[in-house]
Amino acid sequence: MLAYHRPTTTEEALALLPNATGTVSLYAGGTDLLPRWTRGIVPWAQTVVDLKRVHELRGVARDNGEICIGACTAMSDIESNATIREHAPVLAEAAARIACSQIRSRGTIGGNLCNASPAADTAVPLILLDATLELARLENDKVERRTVPIVEFFKGPGSTALASAEILTHIRVASRPSTWLAKWDKFGTRPSMEIAVASVGLALDLSNAKVQDVRIGYGSVAPTPLRGRAAEEVLKAKPLTEESMNQAVDAAKAEISPISDVRASESYRRQLVGVMLRRMLERARNS
Amino acid sequence: MQETLETVPFSCVVNGEPVTLAVSPRATLLDALRDKLELTGSKYGCGEGECGACTVLLNGKPVNACLVLALECSGTDILTIEGLRENGNLHPLQQAFVDHGAIQCGFCSPGMIMAAYALLESNPTPTKQQIERSLEGNLCRCTGYRKIVDAVQSLADGVTSHA
Ligand SMILES: Cc1cc2nc3c(=O)[nH]c(=O)nc-3n(C[C@H](O)[C@H](O)[C@H](O)COP(=O)(O)OP(=O)(O)OC[C@H]3O[C@@H](n4cnc5c(N)ncnc54)[C@H](O)[C@@H]3O)c2cc1C
Ligand code: FES
Ligand code: FES
Repeated sequence: MLAYHRPTTTEEALALLPNATGTVSLYAGGTDLLPRWTRGIVPWAQTVVDLKRVHELRGVARDNGEICIGACTAMSDIESNATIREHAPVLAEAAARIACSQIRSRGTIGGNLCNASPAADTAVPLILLDATLELARLENDKVERRTVPIVEFFKGPGSTALASAEILTHIRVASRPSTWLAKWDKFGTRPSMEIAVASVGLALDLSNAKVQDVRIGYGSVAPTPLRGRAAEEVLKAKPLTEESMNQAVDAAKAEISPISDVRASESYRRQLVGVMLRRMLERARNS
Repeated sequence: MQETLETVPFSCVVNGEPVTLAVSPRATLLDALRDKLELTGSKYGCGEGECGACTVLLNGKPVNACLVLALECSGTDILTIEGLRENGNLHPLQQAFVDHGAIQCGFCSPGMIMAAYALLESNPTPTKQQIERSLEGNLCRCTGYRKIVDAVQSLADGVTSHA
């Protein structure tokens, strides 16, 4: 790395990108990037654009019934933020389960998403919450913004919908009715400092003894974090019964495409997703 | 071969003292502390955020100094294990580690103490579970952790070893 920049506005950050010397990297908490550089897994970027001082990228705000989260908000701030804890507690719970306090002080929600690991712990909660991502780029020296639904953001391991000189600025989620309950859990071989072997999220509106609305999501079991549309479909507009739960579990196991790696085998992951979803559904029914 | 990079100056506050340093843009905060300031209390264990031996406080928050670029620290306030001493005496938390036998080889201790210090600053009366959670990112190969948790708990209960 030769040049380190610390812009204070999105426009300034974007303007640095096309004019940078050599390879350029956007940089937030550095918890994904730095270990790769220092261990020589990927070569150091020649220009680093640190986004943490860009004011609009930090913090959490209410905006027309939506929660608007700056991309550079640290996991520790997501975990403790009163608005998120009240209106999107599933996201606060997931942020609190990432790594350890030291990593949570640094790692940002935007970095977690843009790094695009299938195991990114904030991705599945944001799928449950139907999050929209706001991206910014320069066009004719003007900041242009577009929005992308979270399920369209992930393209593959390490690959996203971001264009080459584009920044993720905000993550927006809508507030939900109080009948809407969302749960997320990850499984690893130890309780902390663990990258998920598999993660499952379930959000349900079970008012009037019927599934009024449902969202399901999976992590670490496909090339990207995945929305479980097939499992959702079999649960919709019915009471939660043994039969519908069994069908949902079968649908879940069929719609994921896990791989075998150092953490677990493909068949173990498939089995695990079934068990995790089944337990969540039972808990939802009994609560 | 590592190419030589021009050093870049920056200023920050370390253990209450303003300092100005010149570092390679690739230097981590841990490199700057250990090699430039000779504050070798913070340890290099893994260099990738797994062990916590390099834990320091950056603007009051616990961080892995091996996962922060030194240049990111321009204008920040850093506290290391060396900064805990008060008037030449060990900080009560350090003393509690000594008194409870929470130190064996000592390699993890600076990071462990800084992580516990960060917890006690934000929550002076943590539960055992909160103590254990705050030390999730700190590995110890010697003590089995129990004595470490006891040491932190002794302060959480308001009983300092000096009492
Ligand atoms: C020891 C350890 C344990 C970990 N445990 C977990 C875990 O349990 N769960 C988990 O999900 N992750 C874990 N991680 C991974 C990492 O901490 C998280 O993914 C973190 O949220 C990354 O955020 P960051 O700000 O540090 O990203 P950075 O490293 O700064 O950036 C990551 C990527 O995103 C890009 N980027 C960052 N911000 C933006 C933006 N606003 N716009 C466009 N591109 C951007 C960067 O260019 C880079 O490609 C762990 C990492 C370590 C080192
Ligand atoms: S040396 Fe920094 S976490 Fe291990
Ligand atoms: S005392 Fe030896 S590693 Fe903890």
